[in-house]
Amino acid sequence: MLKPLAEKDWNYSTAAHLLNRAGFGGTPEEIKSLADLGPEKAVASLLNYETIPDPTVNPEWAKPNPEEISKYRDIIRTGTPDEKKDAQREQQQTYQRRMLELRGWWMHRMAYGPRPFQEKMVLFWHGHFATSVDKVRNPYFMWRQNDLFRRLATGNWQDILLETGKDPAMLVWLDQAQSRQAHPNENYAREVMELFALGEGHYTEKDIAEGARAYTGWSMNFETQQYMFRPRTHDDGDKTFLGHTGNFDGDDAIQIIVSQPQAARFITGKLWNYFAGQVPSSELNDALAATFRADDNNFKPFLHTLFRSQEFYSNDIIRNQVKSPLQWLIGSVRVLQCDLPPNIVSWGMTRQLGQDLFAPPNVKGWDGGVTWITTNTLLTRYNDAQSLVEGTLPPLEANDFAKKAGGGGGGKAVKAMQRVRMGGVNLDKILTPEERTDKDAIVRSLQNRLFQTTLKKDQQETLRDFLDEKTKLNDADIVTAIRLMMSTPDYQVT
Amino acid sequence: MKNEITLQTRREFLRRTVLGSALSWTVPVFLADTFSALQAQAADSATQITTGKDSTILVVLQMAGGNDGINTVVPYSNDFYHRARPNIGLKADNVLKVNDDIAFNGAMKGFKELYDGGELSVIQGVGYPNPNRSHFRSTEIWQTASDSDSVEKYGWVGRYFDNACAGSDPAVGVTIGSQLPQSFFAKHPKGVCFSNPQNYRFMANGEATQESYKKLNEVDMSGDMQADGSTNDLSGDMLNSGGSIGMLPAGMPMTGGKAVDFISRTALDAQHSSDEIRGIAARVQNQAIYPGSQLGNGLKMVAKLIGGGLPTRIYYVSQGGYDTHTNQVNTQTRLLGDLGDSMKAFVEDMKAQGNMGRVLVMTFSEFGRRVSENANGGTDHGAAAPMFIVGNKVKAGLLGKYPSLAPQDLYQGDVKYNVDFRSVYAGVLETWLKTKSAPILGKKFEPLQVV
Repeated sequence: MLKPLAEKDWNYSTAAHLLNRAGFGGTPEEIKSLADLGPEKAVASLLNYETIPDPTVNPEWAKPNPEEISKYRDIIRTGTPDEKKDAQREQQQTYQRRMLELRGWWMHRMAYGPRPFQEKMVLFWHGHFATSVDKVRNPYFMWRQNDLFRRLATGNWQDILLETGKDPAMLVWLDQAQSRQAHPNENYAREVMELFALGEGHYTEKDIAEGARAYTGWSMNFETQQYMFRPRTHDDGDKTFLGHTGNFDGDDAIQIIVSQPQAARFITGKLWNYFAGQVPSSELNDALAATFRADDNNFKPFLHTLFRSQEFYSNDIIRNQVKSPLQWLIGSVRVLQCDLPPNIVSWGMTRQLGQDLFAPPNVKGWDGGVTWITTNTLLTRYNDAQSLVEGTLPPLEANDFAKKAGGGGGGKAVKAMQRVRMGGVNLDKILTPEERTDKDAIVRSLQNRLFQTTLKKDQQETLRDFLDEKTKLNDADIVTAIRLMMSTPDYQVT
Repeated sequence: MKNEITLQTRREFLRRTVLGSALSWTVPVFLADTFSALQAQAADSATQITTGKDSTILVVLQMAGGNDGINTVVPYSNDFYHRARPNIGLKADNVLKVNDDIAFNGAMKGFKELYDGGELSVIQGVGYPNPNRSHFRSTEIWQTASDSDSVEKYGWVGRYFDNACAGSDPAVGVTIGSQLPQSFFAKHPKGVCFSNPQNYRFMANGEATQESYKKLNEVDMSGDMQADGSTNDLSGDMLNSGGSIGMLPAGMPMTGGKAVDFISRTALDAQHSSDEIRGIAARVQNQAIYPGSQLGNGLKMVAKLIGGGLPTRIYYVSQGGYDTHTNQVNTQTRLLGDLGDSMKAFVEDMKAQGNMGRVLVMTFSEFGRRVSENANGGTDHGAAAPMFIVGNKVKAGLLGKYPSLAPQDLYQGDVKYNVDFRSVYAGVLETWLKTKSAPILGKKFEPLQVV
């Protein structure tokens, strides 16, 4: 199992599959150059991103700001009721503005950044640790966790668990910061085993209680907005945890968790599902876990094996994964070489499609797969396709804009919407002048760009009929044909 | 397999019905003709025919987050109650009394009126063995009607569709919201969902674009038939991931296996239901004033669809926010007030339509909350809690027994259940939806006589 795909089986289709799954897809030219590299170099070119400079600048507020925090706290403690209300409203609006900026900042990295694979991993970790701003509130903490995921994207399993657990966003999200030895809070202790590292059935309720004792003392300093260990709240007694006994602290507990064979099975199975779009068979999961452990629980070499494996390129894997809303939007922008819509629209679209970045629905993250598709979200995808290619505004709910665009009521939101401009697709970028005069060439070229394969015969005929009905083919008709191609079940998979 | 059929493909069928608009939507033969011919099992005699005019309707209302049942149906004269809740316990002058022991939360005026009018049954102490305190797991248990130590992939509503509604209209199940709840997951997925009827359509200028869209989203059924004659079942693995099991048949182009088939079916359901739903939304007027909340708007839309005769058996609406770990009283007062007012408006609307006799509303929440309050004026995750059933044929009043709050009767600080929620489901399935409950719930539960 997990033998590398042979050089001779490497072609345009496999290269497209790699770029779609290890990144967010790309243009025919990008696929072609990956195909020319051969499988080994193609995988390496995506995975070994450290040498590629990433000039992205962080948001200016993405740093600890103790003054802002203490100023706010003083007003809440000592201000008049009116002052309090004003301060609260102002903070809420500031936070909403920053979150909108943060969502756009990340989506731009996915769409245009030089390291698409790294961003794909950041998105994996975000879905895995599923921390929501709805509880964490402070955008700086959300940015910080996102930055951590990027830094450790393909690092070591224990490092990722440990650093994420001690990061402010998680300390708030699962209440660990408030846990005291007298009544340890079990929220983090439970989820770290159930959802992050082992899965249900691989620990007991007693392990949760004992783990919770070990994690006591993990806290944060709300002034400096950093992790801090509080020895006085730590339970210093012996604990019996997953079969081991000793005076464990949180670091010990995480180390014990990661040393369980199940920890390797769990995370490698989940990564296979994320990239291949299927729950692996038991044998495959064993093989994945074995290679991960042989690589000392480091993700980079493991993922290299995954993306080189024959299994990853089998027929039931290719073009058989439902695009997540982010994959759908970012991928569309990349293949059409058009602009990512303004933040407010990109955020509104992905949110309506069921993937609100920085606000997963619950601690389990997004269910993904076919659950992305309902009659509602499917029609919304079809309509969003129109907005993207024609450059019209999507029918987003005015309330969405009012709520997250920085306060104000419906009137303000409508005004904000009036200022929004959408790019639309530029045909000069994606069709040659010769192609544009030949209806067959148009269908063929767009099909290759959007699907990297052929549509069903009757679908091709429908598109051809649509173009044939126009006596004089103008750009708007070609744009509509693109939209129609995106309004098919076939475009929703990758 | 070979009982040859009048209509070879869905495409042909579509041409004759929707595109030719020869049949109206309320005719229940929609997929029945094609599917029952293509799939032997769909000809099952258990299949229920739905007309949208006289079938009974169930509205499932989810109170997400774990509603504190003890401050909803309040044991206001119980000493254990006030001892466990010195700060958030509700006093006798703040509640709506039902008898000397029990009262509704003061915010639930709407419920009290329904109760007094004999249109509400309160099922006390509903839960299940070995309760789970995780939101996700417990919600999953309620949605799939599984035991707490086993995992089911399909939902109980989905299994009702599989067992009793094969071949029916896709709108047999309607969810107001953008995501389908897990209870709708089925072997043969059914049900449409939408949040805003105005946007629930394919938007395009020009006939040609609309026509092309329709053709591109028609599916040639002959292409995705499996060896055993079944069509695209939604397997458990796909639910988790979106992938398929098994290889593509040899010689097929790389156009995807089951994921795209599933989407094709959804596309067809969307195409069919959108015209009808928007038509009804524009045509039918509500005859009651609803709160402007998410729940109020949801029930308002359900009322329109019922009034418009959509052939739906099960509607699903939800209300969130019940996870009251801190400052519970304010939050719960607001939510229960909204719940009561929305329900009251819905009942008024149904009565004005003359449909009250056909409709039953059932509420549930994934768990109740701990008997003792916590240090933040809230309560933590607990176990059993009441369910409510509204309708003019319900067995009105208090059903079951209020769980004991005496410390020695609690299990890990939680009240013990005395009605299994699956008995309630069984009762609703048998007495209201008139179908056998055991095949749907996986085993026999004593149906609670709710009607």
